Amino acid sequence: MFKYMKTLNYPIDIKKKDLKMAKYLYTQFGGANSELAAALRYFSQKFTMPDDIGASLLNDIATEELGHVEMIATMIKQLTKNASVEELKAAGLGDMYSEHGYGIYPANASGVPFTITYVAVTGDPLADISEDMAAEQKARAVYENLIDLATDEDVIGVLLFLRQREIIHFNRFKELFKYYKKKGY
Amino acid sequence: MLFDDNNFDYNFFNLANFNLTDPILTMNDDKLVSSKEGFLRGNMFKNEYVPYKNMTYKQLVSQNEKEELLFKVMEMNFAVNDLNLYLDIHPEDRMMYEKFKEYTNKLIAYKDEYAKKYGPLCLEETDSDNYNWYKNPWPWDNQGGSMYV
Repeated sequence: MFKYMKTLNYPIDIKKKDLKMAKYLYTQFGGANSELAAALRYFSQKFTMPDDIGASLLNDIATEELGHVEMIATMIKQLTKNASVEELKAAGLGDMYSEHGYGIYPANASGVPFTITYVAVTGDPLADISEDMAAEQKARAVYENLIDLATDEDVIGVLLFLRQREIIHFNRFKELFKYYKKKGY
Repeated sequence: MLFDDNNFDYNFFNLANFNLTDPILTMNDDKLVSSKEGFLRGNMFKNEYVPYKNMTYKQLVSQNEKEELLFKVMEMNFAVNDLNLYLDIHPEDRMMYEKFKEYTNKLIAYKDEYAKKYGPLCLEETDSDNYNWYKNPWPWDNQGGSMYV
């Protein structure tokens, strides 16, 4: 089961409206390398990990990633606070507005809806964990692109934190991969 | 002060209890940065931190006592989470487990203090005269700077 705790993983306090940045950030909400994809990927793969070590690591990282989904959506919400329809149109968010209004819909930066086809589950621990390692590297690269695009310190601070988490997760998955390899999988 | 750890004088590192020739047990005291630094930079492990370009992590400044205590809860929650992932794959690392327990105890203490002063962060901490779980602002509701819950 899951229990909710009423805090973010890391404080987010964005005071400056920035609709272009909000649009870019959608990539980490509902894109191919998004936090949502990460959470669902590890959550689904955990059921067929061969032992408690793999099951617990995938379960615990999936849980953390769900918190990151909430962080990205929180950033989008704060960046678009009090935005007019005219401003949304000017920032390229008019298409999103036509279907979703001010709602935060899991889609990528181009408005393409999230799809679970971004995620692979093979039932093979080495194949699944290899995918997880790649996913963490791709997400790290995306965070670096987003940091390059960002101008507000309050946004960059959060992105640097999230990027660092991808590095840690990659290292843990790498250790898990080596562990299963050594066990003969 | 924010992130002042002086209230907690835990001494879990009584090395006399351990076999000092065990490389895992002697290494870990040096493996971690402080929970404050770890939380700010998103990484508790000294040798795993990889900065981006020449950028440094953001410093957090609390606006009031409530926020200061909340940052403490978040900091401990972070430390517990990062050590949790490490221990999942290194469950035999006894010193890291002692560190994990230290941070877990601090998390429970700060969370309890926060709930008593400002309201529940977890549903079961709701024990005021009136039901107030729904009333506290939700983490995504920014109200001008000093509100994360």
